Amino acid sequence: MSILLNKKTRVLVQGITGKIGRAQTKWMLEYGTRIVAGVTPGRGGEVVEGVPVFDGVLQAVRETGAEASVFFVPARSVKDTVFETLEAGIKLVVVVTEHVPVHDTMEMKTEAKKVGATLLGPTTPGILTVGEAKMGIIPGNLFPKTSGPAGVISRSGTLSYEVGGILAKAGIAPSTVVGMGADPVVLTDLPDLLRFFAADPQTKLVTIVGEVGGVQEELAAEYIAREFRKPVITYVAGRNTPEGKRMGHAGAIVQRGMGSVESKVAALEKAGVAIARTPAEIGPIARRLLP
Amino acid sequence: MRLHEHEAARFFQQAGIPVPPFAVARTADEAVATLPKVELPVVLKAQVLVGARGKHGGIALAVTSEEVREKVGALLGSSVRGLTVETVMVARQVPIARELYVGATIDPSAGAITVILGVAGGMDVETIARERPEALFRRSVVPPDELRGHQARALALEAGFRGDLMVKIADVLVALFRVFRKTDALIAEINPLVVTADEALWAVDAVLDVDDSALFRHPEMPKDTLARIDHPLERAAKQIGVSYVDLDGEIAIISSGAGLGMATMDVVGQRLRPANFLETGGGITEELMYKTTHLVLEKPGLRGLLINLYGGINPIHEGAKGIVRVLREQNVTIPVVAKALGNRQEETWATLAEAGVTIVTDITTEAAVDALIARLAERDVS
Repeated sequence: MSILLNKKTRVLVQGITGKIGRAQTKWMLEYGTRIVAGVTPGRGGEVVEGVPVFDGVLQAVRETGAEASVFFVPARSVKDTVFETLEAGIKLVVVVTEHVPVHDTMEMKTEAKKVGATLLGPTTPGILTVGEAKMGIIPGNLFPKTSGPAGVISRSGTLSYEVGGILAKAGIAPSTVVGMGADPVVLTDLPDLLRFFAADPQTKLVTIVGEVGGVQEELAAEYIAREFRKPVITYVAGRNTPEGKRMGHAGAIVQRGMGSVESKVAALEKAGVAIARTPAEIGPIARRLLP
Repeated sequence: MRLHEHEAARFFQQAGIPVPPFAVARTADEAVATLPKVELPVVLKAQVLVGARGKHGGIALAVTSEEVREKVGALLGSSVRGLTVETVMVARQVPIARELYVGATIDPSAGAITVILGVAGGMDVETIARERPEALFRRSVVPPDELRGHQARALALEAGFRGDLMVKIADVLVALFRVFRKTDALIAEINPLVVTADEALWAVDAVLDVDDSALFRHPEMPKDTLARIDHPLERAAKQIGVSYVDLDGEIAIISSGAGLGMATMDVVGQRLRPANFLETGGGITEELMYKTTHLVLEKPGLRGLLINLYGGINPIHEGAKGIVRVLREQNVTIPVVAKALGNRQEETWATLAEAGVTIVTDITTEAAVDALIARLAERDVS
């Protein structure tokens, strides 16, 4: 079991003919992902890594039964492409693209809620179900070959790799690793991702890798205190962030007194979450908490 | 990108928000020449991108043209909170009966825009929120919805306004919301929105912070994005497409992701002091890594360099070539430790090791810091 993605999921790659789309399609296929189609407008009829390319999403869905989509499309086209994808009936969309305008993200979020789709990102490394499939750029070789009991949700890509590796070193394999995105507004909120893990019998504990900025960790704390019954470990990066400075990610900023590690950790601790002060502490804590 | 007050005021004015007549001057003569149009008495405001200019000598009042000449002369070239004043906004003074606050901002939890009307103004909105929370009235609008006139009027009514004044305030709210959407803003603020004795409204300050990611569709925006970054290394980083934040320690850091960079800072910070935050994002090439390594090594007083990379989307084996080129060219003698994992890690290790970089293959950043501390200790002994 896993959440959102498994080896049977029929995956569509948008922007498949670009340099990154092409390279990542190869890595995703090698990992075992069932990629059934690619889309790049104007490039229909081509074949990339053995995958047929279509001009539009609707056509790709009709001919291949694609049911989930991963984006390697330029930031300026993301909003239009998301609307096209949702209109074609796809319910899982992974927006890897960085630097998407926040106003576009807000409109996409409204639409996703309306049609009941799960959109990850923007600025997400994607999603990887260990030993089965991955959508996005998470390197498969950093994770064990077979899946285990640990759900991982991360705002950062690189840090999700580090935490996956740290769990593996402690002898604990992840079930599914989800990048929630690092922008100020994310398309799916952290509590909604936790809900998927709550319903997954394989996942016995969840690790949340947070960062300074935004309010996702605080929203998660409220939700966990209210109804999440599995053990949760959190590390929140950026303890020494100077006020008003963006730490790489558009969303990682302590601004107007909001978004500090201290406030997030306090909220999570109050909700009964185990706090790791550095990523490496996650390993031993996870071993202690696993039933 | 934060706009200067006079730039923001122009956007507000174009949207129909009443802004007192103003002009911009780069010399005392220019300031005096604006007076026939702006009209005395005036407020002289340093155009620097920091808040609380009033408290830090960045704002002056002038009643005569001699005063304008003298005070603009004093402002130009002076330093306001560390920034040198190059331009001054000359704006007509308006008589103040009451100060309000209006603003729009992004609510990250709702994915919505929050419109705020405050019946107190003149202090920053965080202070109002802390000291007089009952003075702030909010409405959330979920894009693509707009703020409708009747919704704005409901907000002004809720805040206690009646009659013409209520309608005028609602008009300002709707116009501000339009500017916010039209410019892809992150923050739009008028503080204070002045009410005169005869119930006229004037936007006496203008704040507009726009989304850098949306600049591609805004040819009307100022083009000097880079010049607005104060710190020379932060500016240079932006120019090469990486993200740098200056800190006050002595261990330089290069990381391939923002989260990883912050975590590296956290771990380094437990036993040493980070000199900077730097993340490359997903665009690593040999050239980018060459320039990046150059950049972080420019800071004086460094004792070590810690490199923390993952090869997911990034070709780290290419990046490694750029790093070693700098180490060789500059004959770098401080200890350099690298943890680089992911696609093509073995090639990366070989390239770096050949240039004397200590390679850490453990997954934890702690292991890299241990290795760096060991190298620093060796140096202290020798």
